[in-house]
Amino acid sequence: MSNILQELEAKIEGIQSASTSKTNVGVVREIGDGVAKIEGLSGAMLNEMLEFPGGLYGLALNLEETEVGAIILGDYTKISEGDEVKTTGRLLQVPVGKELLGRVVDSLGQPLDGKGPINAKEFYPVEKIAPGIIKRKSVNQPVQTGIMAIDAMVPVGRGQRELIIGDRATGKTTIALDTILNQAKINQAGEASGDPNFRPMYSIYVAIGQKNANIARVIGTLEEHDALKYTVIVAASASDSATNQYIAPFSGASIGEWFMQNGQDAIIVFDDLSKHANAYRQISLLLKRPSGREAYPGDVFYLHSRLLERSARLAEGYGNGSLTAFPIIETQAGDVSAYIATNVISITDGQIYLEADLFFQGIRPAISVGLSVSRVGSAAQIKAMKQVAGKIKGDLAQYRELAAFAQFGSDLDARTKATLERGQRVVELFKQTQYQPMDVQLQAAILWSMQKGYLDSIPVERIKEFQAKLQEFLSTRKESTLAKILAKKQIDEEVEKELTAALEEFKVIFK
Amino acid sequence: MKISREARRAAREMYRLSLVDGRLDTARVKDISDRLVSEKPRSFLEILKEYTRLVRLELANRHAVIESALALSEDESNRILADLKTRFGNDITAEFRVQPGLLAGIRIKVGSDVWDGSVRNRLNTLSQQL
Repeated sequence: MSNILQELEAKIEGIQSASTSKTNVGVVREIGDGVAKIEGLSGAMLNEMLEFPGGLYGLALNLEETEVGAIILGDYTKISEGDEVKTTGRLLQVPVGKELLGRVVDSLGQPLDGKGPINAKEFYPVEKIAPGIIKRKSVNQPVQTGIMAIDAMVPVGRGQRELIIGDRATGKTTIALDTILNQAKINQAGEASGDPNFRPMYSIYVAIGQKNANIARVIGTLEEHDALKYTVIVAASASDSATNQYIAPFSGASIGEWFMQNGQDAIIVFDDLSKHANAYRQISLLLKRPSGREAYPGDVFYLHSRLLERSARLAEGYGNGSLTAFPIIETQAGDVSAYIATNVISITDGQIYLEADLFFQGIRPAISVGLSVSRVGSAAQIKAMKQVAGKIKGDLAQYRELAAFAQFGSDLDARTKATLERGQRVVELFKQTQYQPMDVQLQAAILWSMQKGYLDSIPVERIKEFQAKLQEFLSTRKESTLAKILAKKQIDEEVEKELTAALEEFKVIFK
Repeated sequence: MKISREARRAAREMYRLSLVDGRLDTARVKDISDRLVSEKPRSFLEILKEYTRLVRLELANRHAVIESALALSEDESNRILADLKTRFGNDITAEFRVQPGLLAGIRIKVGSDVWDGSVRNRLNTLSQQL
């Protein structure tokens, strides 16, 4: 009996050592512009990685009757006609995890910063289906951007997708950067407090088709404010191939999903999706896919919807984390009704619209009150902010309307005058220097003093000065009151009493 | 040469007609191509080129290329051929090539499927794993 067993084992061993691998191969028929047409490959699957000679890889995007259309990752000039291509049976993957924090990587997760290899333990596929209905939870926790105008009027919640849209050079990237810096600030404070329930918020910045100089500047700013250690930068610059630019946001989303699925929170900035759409258009046209409006392919909507759908807030049993997306779209001459802009507006849960006119008037951040909305974020505001900021948006919109009208006449009734005076002061309050995010408790205290009329007697030109001194006063001498607002998350009678006393005291000092 | 969509469609239709029970029929292929050349319909050259490509691809699917590092003996090649015939049917054609680059072992290619048992392939996999 034992003989037979040995014989069988020997047979299995023989099969294993002699086993040949079955692969599927094809031949490159056409190559150019980062796109290859491959004959054969009858067994290739959609989005499968294909192996070219010389260690190059491609992605099978078009499966046709006798041909496969693939995009090349890397230097396509090394591939020539007649080369043999193999299927790998694998999907494109990127390294994920905390090892990536503080690093600058390309769209495949390879380091670009010269800080050595990334020893990631886990890999996620680049294209992943977004979490379904059961796995999700409603958005009801805030993301503090640290920008008073946004936190008061267009609040963003964890798991939301908030679009930042505006012309070139209106401060879109600055808003995203300010948000990242504020998360770093909150993380540092949270880590210092030693609170075991503190959940840090990590950031992912995906640069798509940006100038290398701009990316370097972003990294420089993050380093300067010690925020890089909470940030992952995925860079596919303008000099990278369209393939890399197309993949970059999906890789970024995978890196973000890891945080989301491991009980952590993250924000992801896609800077910007207009260039991503251009890269995808280039790939699609080269693959000879039928073109639609503005030569974009038919699935350009699905391209962005499947990407942004991946940011979500997950329920307890399914990861208990969140991924908040800040896609950026650049408009041409303020045209929000362009193709890609309307697509992304309809996909996201709100938008922050930046106006060039406001920017040049010196109102920075140049947030347009009328066109900016947040469709879910107000559920995520802390109660203190709701108390003080509830009506600001309406008041400000009313002020804008009246301001245009009031230019023509000087005879105004008392109520109109009061609205104008209040509006001017709110506009001044919302002006904020870049890279100086403000804590939510301070925002609430300042808006409270505005609501209670403490600013009405201050001339408009001195509002900024008043605000700066009040901030300093509150954060150095009334720390306990601010801490109470943060702890209680609301302005109750006790806090209100303390704030009244503080403001009365400050009014005497401020001359 | 750019092949128009109409020519492609016509070639595909011709290719469909040259199949009998899902297999390419030599007589039909000859008949169809003769008729095409004699009747000379619009852009017949394009059609013929595309048709040739489709026939070539189909023929490649029924053709085995057996590469080995050293020339195989008669007995060995017959055994391989017999094995291929039981697997893919009697109409499969085969071609034997000597490829010293494989170092040792054999590599069989049928259509776009490849069974690679060569030492070169194993070394490649090994180097990738390392």
